[in-house]
Amino acid sequence: MVRKLREAAVAGVYQTKQGDLSDRTSVDVWFECAKGACDDAGIPLGAIDGLIMDGPEGVGIRSMLPAAALGYDLLGKPMRFHASSSVGASAAASGVNLAVYAVSMGLADAVVIVNAVAGSPEGFSSANRDEAIAAMAKLSGPYEYVYGTTRVSDYAVLARRHMYEYGTTSEQLAEVAVAQRYGATMHPLSCNGHRGEITLDEVVASRMIADPLHLLDCCAINQGGGAVVVTSADAVRDSKKHRPIGLLGYGEGHSHIDPNSAPSLAFFDAAQLAADTAFTHAGVARDDIDVAGLGDHFTINVLFGIEASGFCKPGEGGPFVENGALKLGGRLPTNTAGGFLSFSHAGACGIFTLIEIIEQLRGTAGARQVADARLGYLSGSGGAMQNNFSAILGEV
Amino acid sequence: MTGDEKFLPEGVPAWQQPFWESLREHNIKVQRCTACGAFRHVPKEICAKCYSTSFSFEPVSGRGVVYTYTIVHRAPTPAYQAGAPYAIVHAAMDEDFRMVGTMIGIDPDEVEIGAPVRVVYTELSPEWTIVEFEPATEANGLVDNARGN
Repeated sequence: MVRKLREAAVAGVYQTKQGDLSDRTSVDVWFECAKGACDDAGIPLGAIDGLIMDGPEGVGIRSMLPAAALGYDLLGKPMRFHASSSVGASAAASGVNLAVYAVSMGLADAVVIVNAVAGSPEGFSSANRDEAIAAMAKLSGPYEYVYGTTRVSDYAVLARRHMYEYGTTSEQLAEVAVAQRYGATMHPLSCNGHRGEITLDEVVASRMIADPLHLLDCCAINQGGGAVVVTSADAVRDSKKHRPIGLLGYGEGHSHIDPNSAPSLAFFDAAQLAADTAFTHAGVARDDIDVAGLGDHFTINVLFGIEASGFCKPGEGGPFVENGALKLGGRLPTNTAGGFLSFSHAGACGIFTLIEIIEQLRGTAGARQVADARLGYLSGSGGAMQNNFSAILGEV
Repeated sequence: MTGDEKFLPEGVPAWQQPFWESLREHNIKVQRCTACGAFRHVPKEICAKCYSTSFSFEPVSGRGVVYTYTIVHRAPTPAYQAGAPYAIVHAAMDEDFRMVGTMIGIDPDEVEIGAPVRVVYTELSPEWTIVEFEPATEANGLVDNARGN
């Protein structure tokens, strides 16, 4: 471990309109996002000297050595840091921990995280829904996929067990989708805001995909881009553009690959471990959190997140979310831009949840602004609650 | 991907083959730790309870209860969609391990957590037989598996 030299903070954020970017290349979107985040930070693109996760898409060794590709080839100078997180679709968001590490240890001065999904990728990133669903179904391995499991069914079995143990209802799950769609209607870059608000009845009446999950309990498949750049907190303060929002606490919990190994499919102690580590690290209480961003591939994930994070007891997530508790003005405004369900489910989509928390804590969320938001909580999972991270953000 | 065929197992390593051989023989055997006796499924390289790497594949009762389930309406490919809606259950087996499989011989809407099940064998191809579940009833003499889940 290298000695900590300074505080790090998010200096800039950027995101594209979410939806269909099939007429563009992912490299084009990558640079738009990286440049956009640098502009927001008030630094030139050439200031970037560190990379988390993927660089601009490439083939052969360029795809294997992303920071090397970004070095003399594309930015005309060597990069000083690269690392990857592995929390699935949350990897770009959990990667902020690595960016903060690099900057606070003095290993780099401006570290960028970019998520760019565009063009016509194959496999589970395909814009062709049938191809993507078939490819995702095979992620689980032969002991499951021979039966015709899908990513939705992988979560549906968790939701069913939660309902059995705790009495959770479809209407309670629908609260999540309704609250998040409401937020998305106030975000012009969101995928689904233009579709307008939805009701609990509409969610519960939507087509069944894998019982008990309905169409509106599930994310769509879409494209989009987003980026975050992390610098020293002093540099953010000196630029006088934004409040320096940094990491106050962080934790991970890596649980299982085989669902048969998990002690429970209704409560995830590895997610609880991630949250407990983050809250202990930050020295703040659950009640201190003003705004949350919880991974939401499906509505049930938000209940798992609320329970594992300790905002209520295991099993009480259903009653907790009732009566619009997750909406602006509710007891725990969550995924206020719409989350994966209604803002964007593109690639490592946790980055969009992170960006919304940053905007809330900066006080720049406009119509979606949570009054006096000082402390934000972020969590997400990879796979079907297979691994997890938690972060607490605030001014540093 | 044509979607004309159901998925067959791919990339199953040689040391896991005794499980699949047992299904072909309609006599299910599950991986068991030689050191502590714990059954585990799906097969893994080390016992997560005692860390022994020695194991064998041993016969099991094939009986359990439904731990959780889903009914798939939107299937991954046309070959599966043809059979939709179908129930997939995670069964808690008598020997204290869980196993995933399709539930057959019952209307999917009738599947319930806690209901007793037993394994049945279905040939996907000459090489591959999979294990599915059906309700365990008085008629097939398998009602004594009221193990709590």
